[in-house]
Amino acid sequence: MSEEVNKPAEQAAEATVPLTEGVYGKLLKENGIASTPLPESIGIETLAVQASALPAAMKFLREKAKLNFLVAVSGVDSPDTFDSVYHLWSFSKLDELVVKVRVPKSSLPADKLPEVPSLSNYWQTADWHERETYDLIGIRYIGHRYLRRILNPWDWEGHPLRRDYKQPVDALNDKHPVSMR
Amino acid sequence: MTSIQSACVRKVKQKKVAIDTQVPEFKTDEMIINLGPQHPSTHGVLRLILTLDGEVVKHTECVIGHLHRAQEWQGQNRTWFQYQALIDRVDYLSGMFTSWALCAAAEKIDGAVVPERAEYLRVLVAELNRISSHLLWLGTYLIDLGALYGFPFYPFIEREKILTFFEEVAGQRMMYNYIRIGGVQRDPKASWFKKVEEFTKQFAQRIDEYEAIVTENPIFLKRTKDVGILNKEVAMAYGVTGPTLRASGVAYDLRRFKPYSVYPKLEFTVPVYNKHGDTWDRYMARVQEMRESNEIIKQVLDMLPEGEIMTKKQNAGLRVKAGEGFAAVESPRGVLGCYIISNGSDKAYRFKWRNPSFSNLSVLPPLLENRPLSDIMAIFGSLDIIIPDVDR
Repeated sequence: MSEEVNKPAEQAAEATVPLTEGVYGKLLKENGIASTPLPESIGIETLAVQASALPAAMKFLREKAKLNFLVAVSGVDSPDTFDSVYHLWSFSKLDELVVKVRVPKSSLPADKLPEVPSLSNYWQTADWHERETYDLIGIRYIGHRYLRRILNPWDWEGHPLRRDYKQPVDALNDKHPVSMR
Repeated sequence: MTSIQSACVRKVKQKKVAIDTQVPEFKTDEMIINLGPQHPSTHGVLRLILTLDGEVVKHTECVIGHLHRAQEWQGQNRTWFQYQALIDRVDYLSGMFTSWALCAAAEKIDGAVVPERAEYLRVLVAELNRISSHLLWLGTYLIDLGALYGFPFYPFIEREKILTFFEEVAGQRMMYNYIRIGGVQRDPKASWFKKVEEFTKQFAQRIDEYEAIVTENPIFLKRTKDVGILNKEVAMAYGVTGPTLRASGVAYDLRRFKPYSVYPKLEFTVPVYNKHGDTWDRYMARVQEMRESNEIIKQVLDMLPEGEIMTKKQNAGLRVKAGEGFAAVESPRGVLGCYIISNGSDKAYRFKWRNPSFSNLSVLPPLLENRPLSDIMAIFGSLDIIIPDVDR
């Protein structure tokens, strides 16, 4: 792992070590789905796919590659991108895979949420996890039937886990604007 | 006991009549009612918006988040040292597992090697914690079903003993902060192990007593058999884990399937119960699991090696190397995972918790469909949801 302090490790490593495709990267390629390898996260293959290719890739991985346990859908507000991260396990074998969809911040107009296709109609676990990611990070999942805030109140403003999120000052009846930053 | 029994039998009979009269000869309007947020059986604050046709549930919407404490936000705004003390409040019945998931992920990223004695101690306290969590579930589940007198606080006698053990070793009865990044906090005294050993000797007999009262109880059977059947496929699609999944016939236990810590050295079975997946199976799943945990504790007490309990003494400026990783442990409720992105500073860049209760609760709407109102708590209780674990 890299010792860079200010950036997440992957981006520093990306520049130095040329990455090779893993088992599932090759498998996806053979089936006509493009993916980019990313640095491994503690020994587990990680790859990025284009947002448009995500439903096809997940369908393939779930049905053909038998990675049939979607452990979690996480959102990450990285320095340059919004990531939607899918941790895939299997109920029948030990393999693991991390799939990321990265939406560059530079391509996003101001006050528009990043958009990623939803898996919820196909994979029921994704339903609540996508709602949570929408709520906390602000990634809009296209095609989700009921994309409503799940942990925060329905009328909450902003997405609390973004790095630029400002907490409402009186959220805890606090008069001092910087004490609860 | 007889008066309770007769009362319960009356209740069951009434329920039957109510279902039988649901003949679709006349049209009824659907009614929307709120169950909760404040309801004694929801074990926290959960609101269910139910669409009812007569007494039959047609649609359920779970409204969660009433206990949202922004644990992930707190993680990225607090140092590692502060956060590891905070995080076992997420699932207050099994705090050891939440700490363990955090430490496992941080240690994997850091490449730290945990001393063997610490690993054994972790397994020991975690299995004790699993038993205490299931005991509380057993008591409160019977309350959910309406057995208000006598039995429900019976398992609490044993649970109290376990909490006393924890108080002695960690200083707290529920929020332990015992499992730390790089090891465990304290080495218990020799007398402590003796007490635990005595507990394990008589605990198997206690489970027999619980089973004698509950398992074949006709009222219990009527309320739970063939109620809330969860198919294997549905459970897997919804990401349900833990005893709830195993009762549906999938032998998926991380301790056996993706072994971590010293579990490969221990002998225990992962029983797949009746493949039916109804409420009664989920009850049996947990009872069997308590027996297995008891066996694990006995083995750990025999095998416990001497040595260090911490790689390095912790200080407040604790740091974890840059990197990202996901680690999971098998908590009493299922796969409890922690996804960490660290940038090498004293605070993590991002924490994401994968809580078993969150995914297990999401399967409630399909389970309640076309079931009578009186089954709601029997089904909901059998999933063993802890609301703070859902809301974080």
